Amino acid sequence: MKKVLMGNHAASWGARLSKVKMIAAYPITPQTHIVEELSEMCGDGSLDAKFLKVESEHSAMASVISSQSTGVRSFTATSANGLALMHELLHWAAGARLPIVMVNVNRALAPGWNIWVDQGDSLSQRDTGWVQLYVEDNQEVLDSVIQGYRIAEQVNLPVMICYDAFILSHTYEPVDIPDQDLVDKWLPGYQPEHYLNPEKPSAFNGLVMPDNYMEIRYKLHMAHERAKSVTNEVGQSFGETFGRYYGAVEAVECDDAEMVIAISSSATSPARLVIRELRDKGMKIGLLKMRMFRPFPTEEVRAVLKGKSKAVVIDRNCSWGKGGIFADEIKGAISNQEDMPAIYSYITGLGGRSITPDLIHEIVTEVESGEPPAELSVWKGLKQ
Amino acid sequence: MSEIKTIVYKTVDEVPEFVVSEATMLWNKTGSWRYLRPGYLNKIPPCNQGCPAGNDVEGFIALIGEKKYADAWRLLKEENPFPAVCGRVCYHPCETACNRGQFDHSIGINSLERFASDHAPVGETPQKVKPESGKKVAIVGSGPAGLTAAYHLARMGHETTVYEADEEPGGLMRYGIPEYRLPNSVLDTEIDAIRSLGVKIECNTRIGNDLSWEDLQSFDAIFVAVGVHKNNKLGIENEEIKGVFSGLELLGNITRGKEMVLGDHTVIIGGGNSAIDSARCALRQGSRVTLFYHRSRNEMPAFAEEIYEAEREGLKVHFLRQPVKILAEGGKVSGIRMRQTMLGEPDESGRRRPEPVPGTEFDVQASTIVTAIGESADLDFLPEAVKTEYRRISVNKFTQTSSLSVYAGGDAALEEHNVAEAIGSGKMAACAIDAQLRNSELTESQIIGKTGAVSVSRYLKHGNAHAESPDSNHVVEFKELNINYFEPQARNKAQKLDMNDRMKGFREINLAYPEDMALKEADRCFHCGICTMCDNCYVFCPDVAISRKPKEEWGYDIAMDYCKGCGICVYECPRSAMFMEEEK
Repeated sequence: MKKVLMGNHAASWGARLSKVKMIAAYPITPQTHIVEELSEMCGDGSLDAKFLKVESEHSAMASVISSQSTGVRSFTATSANGLALMHELLHWAAGARLPIVMVNVNRALAPGWNIWVDQGDSLSQRDTGWVQLYVEDNQEVLDSVIQGYRIAEQVNLPVMICYDAFILSHTYEPVDIPDQDLVDKWLPGYQPEHYLNPEKPSAFNGLVMPDNYMEIRYKLHMAHERAKSVTNEVGQSFGETFGRYYGAVEAVECDDAEMVIAISSSATSPARLVIRELRDKGMKIGLLKMRMFRPFPTEEVRAVLKGKSKAVVIDRNCSWGKGGIFADEIKGAISNQEDMPAIYSYITGLGGRSITPDLIHEIVTEVESGEPPAELSVWKGLKQ
Repeated sequence: MSEIKTIVYKTVDEVPEFVVSEATMLWNKTGSWRYLRPGYLNKIPPCNQGCPAGNDVEGFIALIGEKKYADAWRLLKEENPFPAVCGRVCYHPCETACNRGQFDHSIGINSLERFASDHAPVGETPQKVKPESGKKVAIVGSGPAGLTAAYHLARMGHETTVYEADEEPGGLMRYGIPEYRLPNSVLDTEIDAIRSLGVKIECNTRIGNDLSWEDLQSFDAIFVAVGVHKNNKLGIENEEIKGVFSGLELLGNITRGKEMVLGDHTVIIGGGNSAIDSARCALRQGSRVTLFYHRSRNEMPAFAEEIYEAEREGLKVHFLRQPVKILAEGGKVSGIRMRQTMLGEPDESGRRRPEPVPGTEFDVQASTIVTAIGESADLDFLPEAVKTEYRRISVNKFTQTSSLSVYAGGDAALEEHNVAEAIGSGKMAACAIDAQLRNSELTESQIIGKTGAVSVSRYLKHGNAHAESPDSNHVVEFKELNINYFEPQARNKAQKLDMNDRMKGFREINLAYPEDMALKEADRCFHCGICTMCDNCYVFCPDVAISRKPKEEWGYDIAMDYCKGCGICVYECPRSAMFMEEEK
């Protein structure tokens, strides 16, 4: 069934099709429609889930941690300052190995107050132990929520689906809503290994002394390592069932490319347009869509970039005092490797400023000119 | 403790993925930490204490909520033979006591009682609760007090005879309350049920006239509930003239079907319920009606709702006006001379005393004058051994008079004159007489809460109803509720008869709740102090120490091996049906 949905309602449909049993959320622009729609689905009975109103994002995360601990598939959604308020509990959810799926609508953090797109909110949660996927369009929002549960439940890690404020959240696109029976077959009910059960009482998440803590944390890290291949397998399997294939990264026209643009989220779409235009003009240019950020798809990035001469990384984020975060991560991934491209790091589009095809053209022209990469990330689009 | 085993992980592979204990924690009997112990205890809802008739108000509302309407009616009938009457005429102090009144608006208890009585199973008659005693009891007066005493005494196995001076039983329920508030057919149904228990009602028999006090001495006990029928006089000129009636005379005549010609303008003097009822009857006879009351609206003893309805029906009320003399022309009333008053210092009743303002006299044309400034009892038939004070029979709290085996209740013995108080006193008398005749015990522990009426069901359990804990007679206050669990919801108002329809005759004004409204209203009840199995304790117990009792059983079990005594269950109980006590 095709429907014209805003990105936020695509997320709601993803949760509905995943047959979540518990939703706890606190409203924040630009996330509000997601839970608004879910509350109506719960209200009209089309979704058989408990909808818990809470007084903060901290409580929302605490609630889904609790419900997921009882072995119930749980969902929440937030954005920006709301995500920041959850911070402590994000560590808990991952450390407790709870396969929660959360949608985060990427929005700038205040001050100054700004409700528009910026990836800084979720990227600053990168070390909490959550799997992070950055998605490009409304169809991918819906598909990724469903895939999120498959990934999460296979590796026992929480998954965060991130997409851009307003550009996706409030924008309507045609979205294919898969058949519920098909989703049920592809994503069966959640069967936890451990859960709170009065019949078999256990103590959860108690004290772990130095003699075992490192091992426990090593296992968390290893679960992330597994999550890379699981994400690729899940994306492949999803494609086989639903006809839309996904992976940790997507390489477009990269095989013979000399230059590759690495980009994420909705800005991928104008970049697709740009490389098509440049290809038409005979330029050997490719696109690396960074869908997965945590775990970082090191092997995939290396495989795509090997033998290229230049890679342009466009970041809609900044690690203050360092620079573009994706650029930095990609540099880390290719260090100590032979035959890797020079990395050109650009920061642009913060706080909702548009990343237009013209802007990407401008960046490509600049990189093509032959200058070596700047020492620091280049801020593109600043007022002159 | 022997179940504790130490596991040493030697390799990284052996270390589990999850931080979860390898064994159960059942060995860890955290109950040993406890120094306070929670428990379940039903207490007294304030409505139950507030009901002068001693009804289990919360209980019948709960049954309505479960759609067990006949059971709700049966529960009411355990304490009160007149739920259909009370559901119409009671001034519902239970609603004043209702804790919900401090939250949004009290429960419509009166309308729910009416609803339950409307759903009484047709033809079902009350059952006796004790075997025949072989004792005989005489009751003087068939008003609400006398008939309630007769009902309970008959159920308790005593041969009971009621003597009534009037033609038909019911007292003021029949002759004082007009049919637009209480249809006679409703009253008759409830009186017939009392007769079905074998109660003999001898009408047209006035003690001191048709029978003497001595004639009653063959009975083992006597209950005097003769009511108040002597109209207090204004003490002004022309009071005996044609066209002047007492309120009770007017109301009684209408009930008896006597033709009343009131003329174009009826003036009512007085501010009590009789005055208002007289005014509303006069309005229904087509007369213009003006009521004068010598104090202000604040001091008016009539029920506020009745005054409001009377004014809607066209009654003109003038405050701070007192009569000076009745004006006569050709041997009958032509008007009344009034004067203004002002309020002075409070009198012994606590209300400010009206004082005449000199030089403010004015005349009002009137075709009929109705005086309704209070009634008092005619107690001339009583022997001296039965002491009276200010024309009221002196009784203790168990309705005993100064004479052995003589009990008294209703308006003739009570300060408060209303149906519910009278029912309460009749019930108390029945319990006291039964206790005397059977040599059993009637104690204050059979009183509901601190100030409530006696409970027959408690009395029948021989006072053991509260053996479990004295706290179970504790009346739950608003501050003891956890109101986080309640949401504001407007009170459901029962409809009233359309104004055009009501003035054509004596059709009943207050209409019953429709079923959906009754259910909504029952749903608003907090059930103060009574466990409804809402599961809050079960849900909140952090030690999973609380479990529901096996199916079909009411309530919860607390696994004391694991309860740490944190008190969360007690705190989260919305209705104070739990308690904490020190661990012994």
